[in-house]
Parts: sequence; structure tokens; C-alpha cells
Amino acid sequence: MAATGQSQSTASSGAAIYFAILGIVTTAFGLADILVTAAGSEFGYGILEIPNDIFRGGWGGLIVLSAGLFYLSGTRNIGDIHQFAKVAMGSILIWIMAGCDIFAMITESIPGGEDGPWLNTLPGFLEVYASPYAPAVLLLPFSLVVIYYIYQRK
Amino acid sequence: MTLGLEERWTLIDRISKATVTFGKYEHTLKDAIGELTVKPLTGIPVAIAILYGFWSVFGSFAGTLCTDGFFVKLFDGYWLPWIQEAFPGQGDLLYRILVDAGGIDSGEFVLSDNCFEAFGALTSGLFVAIGVVLPAIVIFYLMLALLEDVGYMPRLAVLIDTMLHKIGLHGYAIVPTILSLGCNVPGVAATRILETKKQRFIMMTLLAIFIPCGAQIGIMEKVVPDLLGWILLYLLIGYFIFGYILNKIVPGRAPEFLIDVPPYRRPLLGNIAKKVGGRIRGFFTVALPFVMLGCAIVSVLYLLGVIQFLGDLLAPIFVNWFGVPAETAGPLVAAFLRKDLAVAQLSVIEMTEYQMITAVVLVSIYFPCVATFAMMLKEGWKELLGALAALVVVVFAYGGLIHLIGILLGVA
Amino acid sequence: MKVLLMGHPNVGKSVFFNRLTGANVTESNYPGTTVDYTKGWMKIEGEDVELVDVPGTFSLDPKDKAEDVAVAMLHETKDAKVITVIDASKIERGLYLALEIIEEGYPVVIALNMWDVAWDKNIRIDARNLEKILGVPVVPTTAISGEGIKELVSRLKSAKPVEVDDIIANAGGLT
Repeated sequence: MAATGQSQSTASSGAAIYFAILGIVTTAFGLADILVTAAGSEFGYGILEIPNDIFRGGWGGLIVLSAGLFYLSGTRNIGDIHQFAKVAMGSILIWIMAGCDIFAMITESIPGGEDGPWLNTLPGFLEVYASPYAPAVLLLPFSLVVIYYIYQRK
Repeated sequence: MTLGLEERWTLIDRISKATVTFGKYEHTLKDAIGELTVKPLTGIPVAIAILYGFWSVFGSFAGTLCTDGFFVKLFDGYWLPWIQEAFPGQGDLLYRILVDAGGIDSGEFVLSDNCFEAFGALTSGLFVAIGVVLPAIVIFYLMLALLEDVGYMPRLAVLIDTMLHKIGLHGYAIVPTILSLGCNVPGVAATRILETKKQRFIMMTLLAIFIPCGAQIGIMEKVVPDLLGWILLYLLIGYFIFGYILNKIVPGRAPEFLIDVPPYRRPLLGNIAKKVGGRIRGFFTVALPFVMLGCAIVSVLYLLGVIQFLGDLLAPIFVNWFGVPAETAGPLVAAFLRKDLAVAQLSVIEMTEYQMITAVVLVSIYFPCVATFAMMLKEGWKELLGALAALVVVVFAYGGLIHLIGILLGVA
Repeated sequence: MKVLLMGHPNVGKSVFFNRLTGANVTESNYPGTTVDYTKGWMKIEGEDVELVDVPGTFSLDPKDKAEDVAVAMLHETKDAKVITVIDASKIERGLYLALEIIEEGYPVVIALNMWDVAWDKNIRIDARNLEKILGVPVVPTTAISGEGIKELVSRLKSAKPVEVDDIIANAGGLT
């Protein structure tokens, strides 16, 4: 009994550290989205591009920010189900954002464009999926870690 | 024999003591997430995110993929030139009604080069119905069915309850409201879950006036995408202002209501397919004929000079009171048949951005479409008359108010 | 024979209705989807049975228009049998409605629906004992996956009116 308690607490402290870091990064991305949009400027670095339209950058940035705050508020005492639910919710918000971004890419990649053929050419199709990506898409793989912890709880 | 209230509960207590054992209730992750979606502090960000997702998928699917990706090309590039050639009697009466009203340029009849301006039943009518409205309706009902079956809707109702209480409705009013965003007809039917006559009347009136249906939103997203946010904002503000006023002046009571929140469930694919399928069938049998008929009737009215006459007659009101061009009279007549068509017609009239916002808001709040009208009549003619009276007042008051705001902002 | 499906809003009446009649009534995971009644037919042992999907109601004392429809429907069809659908995780509230219907002399079958949800919440109900006390058939069901529906239908014929005095006696009196 003591041994399982021990291993559980190490697992949850690992989770706490992981999601704390993810939370900080997510919060920073959310703030960046909002600030870049508010300033009306453009920002890209490597494979990252901050969206700056009012819908994806402003409204969307608010959601990324909320996701970050969900992560951060859930990390304390993460073993508790209600706290862990906040972390899970943070990931769900990221999935919504990233899902919408990816769905938008898919819908953009299929048609051939105004003067082109009906369907897009293969290079044109692939080009849509090339970097840079929005923050939520970059955060997506890291947010999936929560699934591992959900199964571990069961 | 029947029992009194007290006795019945005592009996139930006895029975349940004998038959039910409550084990230690452990919160599952599902429950905990469920709670997060209901508490305001955490629930509001979640609602904002879900709304974002709804909107984003709606725009990507209906706008980017279907309408802009394929239908514009199909209708403008292939269908329009083909039927302009194939249909006999270019410039004739029937040709103008069914295919292309065209324009007169230095005395000669000129063909239109896109389906928005052709105004024929077989061109604009078909394009608006199938190219723009159909994809919007498909994706809207698909997402709505998903949210319904998962069990998010009642949670949204709980979250919004406080806000809606201010206008004399309980959180459940969100269900008719959201249904109305798809089509006002099922929205009006759903008002029956509200308890008092007063609540039903307020809800029905607000739905008919301020909630644009999926068809309207779809077409707005296509023709005035940049102004859509403003238009919806004006409608939302109107919904609350007039809801508040109606709550104050309509006699009756608006009692509290306890909402049952069902558990989150995995949605069943078959059920969702069935719901969406039903809506699409409804679209083809009801909406499609209306759009085409509306197109034809409007063309006839134009050709007969009726629209010109009404426009001249109403021009002082339109220009002075609402601050929109006199030409908008035509679309407003058409709006009685199909509002989506009216928005499409507005989009080709030349006017400033603010006038466009005003005009589209006016089309939305002006008379409910025929189908909604019939549905409201089914709910009671007194209510219908009351709603129409409210509508006339609202159109003038709110239309004037928007104009006034425009003047104050210096944009009208 | 005529059978009414009654119960609180959102306990799954429409799901039963669709499963039993193969009809196309809209089901949603929120209360108040059914605001008007729908009729359909099913066959039980060769006999045609009319089934009515009644809007959800909390009691026989109507509070809104949809509940009006429900109560009027019940009172119009005096010879009907009633399947009372109860949310097994909120059994007491459901029993209230069931008792009201029993008291009016209708033959009742009780479907303890959402059995899976009650199970998840660690609520255990002794359905046999409940059946013994009430004197009407009680069947645990999970309508959405179809569990217990067959049994529910097969028990319909054994539904008969019950005197509430007998129930009180079976429960060990009221005091």
C-alpha cells in the first residue's frame, strides 16, 4: 500500500512539473497571440508564426491563454481528480484550437483555387501543410501527453 | 385511492430505503470535467472555445471548401455561361425571370458575369440555395447534433442562465435560441419547453426578430464576411435590450426553473446522421422551392415596376430614418420570401460599409420568413399579432437607433 | 392495446420509442426534445400495439405547455398501459411520477433506465425487491445500447392496476 502510494506521488510530481512547464509556455503563446494581434504587427520565428487577425489571434489567443491558465491552476496537487480535470481541460482547449487550424488547412488544400483545376495539384496540396504553424498546432503534440496520464489513473 | 404530497414522499422514502443502496460516490474524470464546464469561472472560457470551434469549422467547411472552393467555380464558370446560351429568347420576359435579368448598357441587353447579379430563379436562386445555404446548413446541424448528443447544451444553459434571467427567461431559452440559428421554425416549436405564456411570447418574438437563421448567416459569411461580426453584435445587443423591455411590459410571470444536467455521453453516429439527414430533406422540400420562387417573384415585381414604386414611396423613410439607399426597398420585399436571397441582393447595391451593416441588420429583424410566420400562427394568432406589433416597433426603433449611433460615430 | 411512454424530461423515452417502433423521432441529450406526442406501432406476440411517445413531465400537475400535452394524453386514454421510464440514478423523483400514475389506476411497467449511469455512480437498486413492493413489473434498462428492452416489452402483458394500499402495506406502512 505504501509502495503504490509512493510511486503514485512520484508519477504525479512528474506530471506536475511537466504540465507546469507546458502551462507557462502555453500562457506565453496566448499572450503573444493577443499582443501581436493588438499591435497589428507580424511575428514569425522558425516554424512558428503568430496569427494576427482578430479571429484567430484575438479570440483564439484568448483561448490559448485560457488553456495555459487551466494547466497552471491544475498543477498544484495534480493527484486530485478536480485538479487533474483542469489539466485535461487545458489540453481539450488546445485540441479545439489546433483542430480548427488543421481543419482550416485541410479545407484550404483540397480545391484548386479560382483559376486552377477542380482539385489542387499535389505540390499545391502539400504546400498548405508546410511550416510555419500557429502556436496551438505546435503545442498539440505536447498536450497529448495528458492522454497517458488519463490511462494511468484508471 | 390517492395519496397526499407528504404521504407520497414518505412512501417513496420507505421504498427507496428498502431497495436502493448508495455506494461511496467517487468523482470520475468525466464528472470533474462536467463541473468545470458549468462553473462560471472555468465554464466561460470553455464556452468561448467551443463557440470558436463551431465558428471556425463552419467557416472552413461552408465558406472555404464548399462555396469558394467548388460552387462558385461550378456556377459562375460552367452553369451560368451554359444556361445563358442554352436558354432561348435572350432578353425576353421569361429569360429575365428564370435566367438573367441582365442590365442595359447603352441601349443593349448585357449578360451578367456571375450568379450573384443574374437574379434569375435558375441562376441566383439555385446558386444561393445550393452553393451557399446548403453547405452552411449541413455543417451547422452536424455540429449542433454533436453538441446536443454529447450533452453540452444543458451545461451551456446553466452557464447562461443568469444572463437570460435579466430578460425574463431562464437558461433553457438558449436551446430555442441556438436551434433558431439553424432555422427559426424548430426554434419556435422548442419554445414550448418554457413554462408561462409570457416567456413563450417573449422568446418567440425575440427569435423571429433578432436571431438570423443558418441560411442568412451562410450568405452573410459569403457576401459581407468583414461586417459579419458587427452585424451579429448589433443583433445580439438588440436581443438583450428588447428582451429586457418586453420582460418589463408584457404582463405575467417568469418563474425560476431547475435544469437537469444529463451526463456527458459518447454521441451515436446513427442518431446524428438521422438528425442531419432530416434537416437536409427539409431543406430540399421547403427551402429550395421558396428560394427559387422568391427569385422569380422578385424579378417579376422588378419588371412590373412594383419595386420601383415601393422604393419611391418608402424612400424618404429608408433614406432619412434608417440612412440606407432607396434601392434597398427591393431586397426588403424579397426578404419576406427568403432572407438569404435578400442579403445576396443587398450585396450588389452600392453603399457604404455602415449602410450595409444597417441594411443587413434591417433585413434580419424585419418580418419573419413565411415558414416561421406559419409556425407562429400555429402557436396562436394572438401571440402572432403581438409579436408583429412588437416587430414593427422594434424595426423602427432599432433601425433608427443604429442610424443614430452611426451619425454619432460619424460614419453614417 | 395502447401503450404510453411517460417519464421525466430527458430520461430516454424517445430512445425507447425509436427502438420499439423503428420510427424516426429526434433524440437529443437535453431535456425537452419532445414537445408534442408522437404515435407509432409495434408488434408484441403478433398483436398490433400503438405506442405513444409522451413529452416529459415531472408530475401529473402540469407546469408548462409540453407537460399539459403529457397529462392530457394520459387522461384521454383511460384504457392505456403506461411504461414509466425512470432515471435509475435519480430514482426517488421518478417513483413520485410512477406512484401518481399507479394511483390513478393505470397498469404500469417501470423501466429503470440509465442503469449504466447509476452503476457508474455506485448506486445499486434491488429491482426484484422494488417489484415486490410496488407489485408492478420493474425492468433495469439502458435504452441507448438496447439492454433490457426485450424484457420490458415481454413484461407489458403482466402489467395490471395496483392498489396503493397494497404498496403501503408492502413497504411496511407509512409511520
